[in-house]
Amino acid sequence: MIEFQKKTLANGLTVIVHEDPSTPMVAVNVLYKVGARNEDYDHTGFAHLFEHLMFGGSVNIPSYDEPVQLAGGENNAFTNNDYTNYYLALPRENIETALWLESDRMLSLAFNERSLEVQRKVVIEEFAQRYLNQPYGDIWLLLRPLAYERHPYRWATIGRDIDHIRNATMEQVRAFFSRYYKPSNAILSIAGDIPARRVFDLVEKWFGPLPGGTPPRDKIPAEPVQTAPRRLEVRRPVPASVIYIAFHTGPRMSREVTVCDVISDLLSNGTSSRLYQRLVKENPLFSNVNAYISGDVDPGLFLVTGHVMEGTSLETAEAALWNELERMKNEPVGDYELEKVKNKFEANNVFGEINVLNKAMNLAYFEMLGDAALINDEVAQHNSVTRDEIQEVSRRIFRPENSSTLLYIADPEAPDTAPTE
Amino acid sequence: MLDRTIQPPFQLPDRLTIPAARQTTLQNGIRFWTIDAGTQPLVRLSLVFNAGTRYQPAPFAASATLNLMSEGTARHTAAQIAELFDFYGIYYDTSIDRDYSVLTVSCLSRFLDTTLELLDEILFGPLFPDHELELYASKRKQQLTIEREKPSYQARELFSEALFGREHPYGRVAAAAEYDQLTTDTLRTFYSGYYTAGNLFAVASGAITPQAARSLEKFLGRIPVAAPPADPGIPPTSSTPLIRTRRDGALQSSIRIGKVLFPKGHPDFNALQVAATVLGGYFGSRLVKNLREEKGYTYGIYSAMLNMQHSGYFAIATDVTAAATDDAVAEILREIERLRTEPIPATELEMVRNIIAGEMMRILDGPFGIADVTIENVQCGTTNDAVTAFFNEMRTVTPERLQQVAREWLDPATLSTVIVGA
Repeated sequence: MIEFQKKTLANGLTVIVHEDPSTPMVAVNVLYKVGARNEDYDHTGFAHLFEHLMFGGSVNIPSYDEPVQLAGGENNAFTNNDYTNYYLALPRENIETALWLESDRMLSLAFNERSLEVQRKVVIEEFAQRYLNQPYGDIWLLLRPLAYERHPYRWATIGRDIDHIRNATMEQVRAFFSRYYKPSNAILSIAGDIPARRVFDLVEKWFGPLPGGTPPRDKIPAEPVQTAPRRLEVRRPVPASVIYIAFHTGPRMSREVTVCDVISDLLSNGTSSRLYQRLVKENPLFSNVNAYISGDVDPGLFLVTGHVMEGTSLETAEAALWNELERMKNEPVGDYELEKVKNKFEANNVFGEINVLNKAMNLAYFEMLGDAALINDEVAQHNSVTRDEIQEVSRRIFRPENSSTLLYIADPEAPDTAPTE
Repeated sequence: MLDRTIQPPFQLPDRLTIPAARQTTLQNGIRFWTIDAGTQPLVRLSLVFNAGTRYQPAPFAASATLNLMSEGTARHTAAQIAELFDFYGIYYDTSIDRDYSVLTVSCLSRFLDTTLELLDEILFGPLFPDHELELYASKRKQQLTIEREKPSYQARELFSEALFGREHPYGRVAAAAEYDQLTTDTLRTFYSGYYTAGNLFAVASGAITPQAARSLEKFLGRIPVAAPPADPGIPPTSSTPLIRTRRDGALQSSIRIGKVLFPKGHPDFNALQVAATVLGGYFGSRLVKNLREEKGYTYGIYSAMLNMQHSGYFAIATDVTAAATDDAVAEILREIERLRTEPIPATELEMVRNIIAGEMMRILDGPFGIADVTIENVQCGTTNDAVTAFFNEMRTVTPERLQQVAREWLDPATLSTVIVGA
């Protein structure tokens, strides 16, 4: 149970405070409700490029990193399809340094040409390092446009075409900032050994004076219902073939996704899970297998993946994955097995609550989903999933016409990864 | 009126206090540390054996022994053990390096006794079934082959070869096909020689109530006494100045630069660690500023001092855009040269001191962090007082002293360079 207090400032900023007397550190997390899904088809990769620019100095403070480091802090950020998240952890005495920095870059960036020029290059290198210059790096660049035809989840956060980053202009950067980076589109969460009243006062001091503005309302195109199976085969000079099967699911807050999460745990969480025991241990067709949900805010994906063992045909491997999905549809899950995955989820949750930064991040994340209080409801939600629901959801999701299959075939003769599009 | 141009006052502790780790020595000789800390009802136990890869009789034998201990015992099959761990939400992890193998379990406090019963079986009665080894070997062979396709993995392997030498226990790398040569007899022999009471220490952390401590001590007390196997030590190193591997059409080059120096106990280790932090130990360091923020050559670059039982080395790691490979190496060497020829400005050093202080506070925040630090100190033959000693030294070390150790130990002519890519 994570106790917290919540307030909304006059300018629309949502503030969440959790007191944790066990740590000398304080975690400060700022979540902006903007991610790759808010991008335009012709200007992708922008939310992520923007995350880099947020470290290039703000209107009153030339350097972001130096003051954090002087105050003994550590900071970083990440961008995904739904949101952009910035976080710091520093000694609790120095909380004002964090509030000073975060409020100033929420007020305005420095919009420095040189910083834009450098970060364009850095992001292009990040693209090369993560997506192109290593085996299997381009899987998601292939899978997203296969699974999605209309919804912006069809491109990765790095972007659809790296030229969009290469050609990004300062004008676009300014427009992006004024649309998305404002108190009414952000959630600030703070966890540490400081009385909540004191934290709210300090937040009011630094963030209260910021102008409000209306939150943006983007029209995000909905993904049409998939009606036929999709397949893509590519050949790459990698050591082992890989299969990815993606199924459409409901949105993150739907009951269906909670049930899917339990299904994915039954299939692949831990070495006693079904896919691991049957397809890696008993009948070793794969060197590893995995099942997981994408966890996206809008309707997302259920993924089933595996690295195929040398000497196993792709047909056999793919059929074996389907066989396990069919079992999920046709055979009720036993009490013991269901209790096992629920126990594991609960333990995992307790371990996750050790870290103050984790707690601050999760509070902001659940607030974005609708209400920070949902954080304390997760275990109960999982525990209430029934065997009937598992079977019913499996039947709805695991249909060929709801699937996109990527066969990433090992072929020593194939040319190396080429940038898509 | 709020002045947004000035940083609010901040402070850092001038002393570092670590919650004490309580040490006892059990009747069978096992040294056991406990750290009762944290707010969650959790316990973590790590068993650290002198059973790293440098002791192994055949390639991959040490890691295979460690990983197959949980794959079948006299009472349970591998599948049943996996089932039990998962049912109780127990985390069972293994890790291995050149010197040590570590077996760690973490569980909810209420399942501690169940966890220890299972661990008891794994530790005292592993069977090493043939079919499990066969399966393990083919799986790992494929995974290793995949890893070795990654430029950074290749660079890391070539780097240990360049630093220590191809035949050195700290530099040796084996072909994936060696997995086929492993036999369960080799594993059994290695297991009975190295997994004994004389050859390990244990660290428990979390909610260590008196009752939990009793359970843990009872469990550890059952580990059989046996004379510890001898540590053969390490032979002299033979380093290579440059290893360069070209990859067709590489977009990036993975670069490693470094040098074998000395283990943590050496009087210059702490100062060099501070110097390495100035150079590339944080975001905004000299290397990051130069290669990332000014030139845009890379997404990231790091430098650090690394410690092993009988050695230690200085290392720089980065992946850079292929066209800038040679310039990147030149810039790295230029930054090292600056450390050797110019004293570090006071403001920069002050910042680095604060960064290190904050980092140490974060590492020591929470029971598992303190346990990790304790493990590292015991491995180095010191106690947690070494952390305080490092903290004090890094707060007072002078620019002159940092320049002097850089000049003495980081002569570019003596460094090894590995480039995988262009």
